[in-house]
Formats: sequence, C-alpha cells, structure tokens
Amino acid sequence: MKLGISAAALLAAFLAFGSAAYAEDTLSPLHWQSQGTFGSYDQAALQRGFLVYQTACASCHSANALHYRDLTALGLTTEQVADITASIKLDNRPATLDDRLISALPKSQAAAAFGGAVPPDLSNIVAARPKGTEYIYNLLTGYQAPPADVTLMAKHYYNAAYPGNQIAMPAPLTDNAVTYADGTKATTAQEASDVAAFLTWASDPNLDARKQIGLRAVIFLIFLTLLAIATKRKIWRDVA
Amino acid sequence: MSDQTKSWLDSRLPLAACFRAQVCDKPLPANRPYLSALGTLITGTLIFLMLSGAVLSAYYVASDHGAYNSIQFIMRNVNDGWLIRSFHATGTTMLFAAVYLAIFHALITGAYRLPGELVWGLKLAFLLLMMLVGYLGYAMQDGAVSHWSLHDVTLAGAGLSSFPGNISNWVLGGPAGHGTLGHVAMMHGLLTFIALGVLVLHYYAKQAVAPVAKKTVPLHPYYTSHHFVAVSVYVLLFAVLVFFAPHLGENPLNAAPANPLLVPAVMTPPWYLLPAAAVTHALPGTEGGIVAFFAAFAVLFAMPWLDRSDPRSEPGFLYKLLVVILGLDVIALGMTAAAGPSTINAILMIIFIGWYFLHFLVLTPLVTARESK
Ligand code: HEC
Repeated sequence: MKLGISAAALLAAFLAFGSAAYAEDTLSPLHWQSQGTFGSYDQAALQRGFLVYQTACASCHSANALHYRDLTALGLTTEQVADITASIKLDNRPATLDDRLISALPKSQAAAAFGGAVPPDLSNIVAARPKGTEYIYNLLTGYQAPPADVTLMAKHYYNAAYPGNQIAMPAPLTDNAVTYADGTKATTAQEASDVAAFLTWASDPNLDARKQIGLRAVIFLIFLTLLAIATKRKIWRDVA
Repeated sequence: MSDQTKSWLDSRLPLAACFRAQVCDKPLPANRPYLSALGTLITGTLIFLMLSGAVLSAYYVASDHGAYNSIQFIMRNVNDGWLIRSFHATGTTMLFAAVYLAIFHALITGAYRLPGELVWGLKLAFLLLMMLVGYLGYAMQDGAVSHWSLHDVTLAGAGLSSFPGNISNWVLGGPAGHGTLGHVAMMHGLLTFIALGVLVLHYYAKQAVAPVAKKTVPLHPYYTSHHFVAVSVYVLLFAVLVFFAPHLGENPLNAAPANPLLVPAVMTPPWYLLPAAAVTHALPGTEGGIVAFFAAFAVLFAMPWLDRSDPRSEPGFLYKLLVVILGLDVIALGMTAAAGPSTINAILMIIFIGWYFLHFLVLTPLVTARESK
C-alpha cells in the first residue's frame, strides 16, 4: 500500500517535472516543440525548414551526413522525396535518394569567395554549438548595422549572435525568400525558426525514438526499484 | 543436465559447490550501508563499458579522416548505434560519479588508514587509470576540441622523449600523425583491462583487511537483495540520463569535426576531467603541468601517513568538515577550468589548488593529531 503510493508519487513527480520543463518552454518567445523533456519534432516545421535549407543555405553549405532518403523522417513519402531530388541538379544529373546533401559550391571556391572562411558542414551544427537551436535562430536574425565604433573587416558583416560579431556569411534570409506550401507567412523570423528546427533534426534524428523508449524504460525501472525495495525489506526483516 | 553428468562434473570440477561456498553462502556483515554497493556498481559499469565499447569498436575507424565520420555513421546509420554510443558515454559519466563518490567516502570515513592503505592505493590507481582511459576515449572522437587537446598532449609527450624507450612514441605514436588515433584507441582498450585487474586486486585486498563482523548473514539472499536495490536505483538514474540528457557534461563544441586550421580558444574536456585539467594548467609549461598532476595524486596516496590519528578512532568532526570543504574545492576548481582563461579565473584556480595542497599537507596532519588527543 505504502509502496503503491510512493510509486504513484515518484511517477507523478517524473511526469510533472517533464511537463513543467515543457510548459516553461512554450512561454518563451523562442519555442521549438522538440525541446521539452517529452517533446517530439513538429513535422510541418521540419518540412518548411528543409525548404528554407534547400532554397537559402544549400548553395553554400553541405549537410554531408544526411542522404535525401533520410527526409522521409520529416513525414514525406518516398515519392514526394523523389520529386524533390528530381528538381535538384548535381554536376550534370538530377540528385537521387542515395545522394548526400552536398553543397552547390566546391570548397576551394567557397574559401576564395568568403575571404578564406569556409561555410561549415551543417549536419551536426546544432549539437556543436551551446544551445544550438536558439543559436541558429539568433544567428540568422542577428544581422544588424554595425555600431559606430566598430570597423568591419573586409567581406564581413555585423551579427549580434556570432562570437566576435563579425561573420563572413552574408545574411541568408529575407522576408518571402520561400513560399510555404502550407500557407504559413514566410517572415525572416519564421524561416529562421523553421530552418533551426530542421537543423536540430539533422543533428539529432533519433530524438523521438530516444524519448519514447526512455519514457517506457523509466516507468519500468521505477516499478523495478520499488519491487527491489519490497523484496529487500522482506528478506532482511528478521536481521535488523 | 542429467544426474549422471552432474555428478561426473562435480567429481571432476566442483564448480557448483565452490560457487555455493564462495559466493552464495559467503558470510558478510549484517549491517552495511547502501554505499557498500559502490564496488558492485563500479565493476558492473566497467564491464558494461567494455561490452558497449567492443560493439562500437566494430564500426570505429581510427584515422584522421575516419574517426569523426565513423562516429557519425554509428549515430545515424548503424541500427541502434546512437543507443550504444549513448550507453558508452553515459556509462562513463556514471562510472566517474561512482568512483569520485567512493574516493570521497573513503576519505571522510578514514577508510584509507592502516591497515587499509593498500586498498586505498588501489582505489587511487583505478581512478588514475580511468582518467587516462576517459581522456583517450575523449581524444578518440577527434572533435574540434579534443583534436587539439590530443595534439598538445602528444607534443608534450614528445618533450618527454628522453624517457627510456621513448614511451611517448610507443604509447601515442608520436606528435599527432596518422598513427596517433590508432595508438590512442589501442591504449584506450588495453588500459581498461588493466583497470579491471586493479579492481580484482582491490577486492581481495579489501577482504584481507576487513574487520571481523560480530554478526554475519550469507551473501545470498541478503546481499543479492540489498544490491538489487542499489543497482535498480543506479540503473534508473542511468536511464534518465541516457534517454533525456545523453550529452550531459560534454563540451558541445567538440561535436564539430576537427578543423586543422582553427585552435579553439577554450579546450574544455568532459566534466570528469575538469579538476585534473585545471591542475595541469597550474604550473607553467608541459613539465609543470605533469608535475602538478602527479603531485596532486601523490598527496592522495600519502593520506595514510599524513593522517596522524589513531587508525581505530572515529574521524573527528573538524576533519570531516574539512573533507566536505575539499570536495567543494575540487568542484570549484573544475568550474574554473570550464569557464576558460581570464585573469580572475587564473587567480581563483591558484587559490583552489593552493587549498587542495594545504588541506593534505598542513590541515590534515594538524587536525587529525589534535582531534585524536
Ligand atoms: C553565400 C553563402 C552562404 C549562404 C547562402 C549561407 N551561408 Fe552560412 N556560412 C557561410 C560562410 C562563408 C560561413 C563561415 C562564416 C565565418 O567563418 O565567418 C557560414 C557559417 C555559418 C554557420 C556557422 C556559424 C558559427 O557559429 O560558426 C552557420 C550555423 C550557418 N552558416 C548557417 C547557415 C544557414 C542556416 C543558412 C541558410 C539559411 C546559411 N548559413 C546560408 C556562407 C553562407
């Protein structure tokens, strides 16, 4: 009886902690559904994010760890992905499902174009920056006119979010840079938020599976622990 | 097994009887705290790490261009590869948490005192080995940070090449070259087996000096049920981290591939190496760092003799308070290493390291001598 109550209490605490973290998250101006303890990816946002990536980033950046076939995880059918790849040109042929998301710009040319700065591969970029999802959003919306006391280096732009504030990447997003199929208004902020969601998925494609298995494992282990405590008490009853 | 085969086996190799006598019926003290399960947890975790590491090694490529990409392949394309790697990374976190706790527990209870000095020494040897193995595992990822850290370490090793047999080349394959990661991976595995051996020695050494208990109970079912509780709680914690915080205590910058042209400003290692990293930056130069690191371990090894109290007495209140402060001091030291270089940080680091040595070399002898009077 007592154990049953503590089991319920422990489980409630775990779920409450998870949803509290989630609720707190929804209140912030920047909110991605995947960030709560039990939050999963918003597939509509991922699909919009891929469109932004393909339109506004892929000309300079690659996402080499991804293949086009992986895009079915965004909720697209294989046929839909095949339609997308058919419209993407690699050297002298259309892309296929088994091609990697390479950049349209060869590395050697890229370095020359941006004063020695090479656009990094974006497959793992969200994992590779502290608070990666927010960072991508802030970076893409952080272009500003430089303060009066700052002289920019050649071929650099002022960005509030970038460490050192001078980045070689020209602002990649503008309002209506893409047209969303689902009718969402394509503001710069919306595009930044969606591409941040897409890159979060690219860095951590197993997030949904991880949390689903995790929830089941934790519930199972809470009961196992209580069972262990009950067993131990019974066995040791006449010792202590 | 038929009765006939069983009696034949028992007459030739009495495994079952031996198991019953040595394990099941083994008499153990009737009154033990849950922390006494730490040894079981540490051994279990080490074996778990060896198994998950063996699986990962089937896919890991130890080369300059292969290492990072092979880990990405494990995370993305190998079935459940992300889970195995997460087990391995989080297992390391759990192992270090348990080892640090065990060391702290031995310090605060005075377990290092005679006749426990060898048990204590083996504990420290295990920690030292785990730090090396942990560091090598971190270096194996060849990320934007660990790549440069390994570069520095191999250079430092080359500076020590006056050692007989040129240990550094033998162990690390010389200054970051093509063979380096292969050597690192090899040592990562090899030292783990040595560490397992140290755990076995620790187990027997502890048995040899264990005080005779007034009242005992057989291992099974008493200790099995007791440890079942400890293991379940530990695994529960483990699962929460694996599934909800798989990158806890890692430096995110290291998730990017190494850039041979860009040295990171702050080379923050994983959490369990932070205090050690701070100590190696305490004295200038490579040699200074190595001297400081081994000095920090040397005072720990010397504890049985720095403590002036009667080994049979309970540690005094002031002594215990000082051990708690020492624990906080080491955590604070790790935080200065995580925060990166700045003047204020450098000063704090010196203060925290100073306190560490003051604790062992001055305060411990003074306080223990006074408290046991
Ligand atoms: C015109 C080419 C170009 C386009 C288009 C472009 N980038 Fe970049 N990007 C660069 C360059 C060049 C750098 C390297 C900047 C530096 O090192 O100063 C860079 C760097 C970055 C970084 C790394 C910042 C850091 O912290 O190191 C991120 C993230 C990034 N880009 C995201 C994006 C996203 C998302 C898009 C699409 C919305 C995009 N980029 C479009 C050229 C481009």
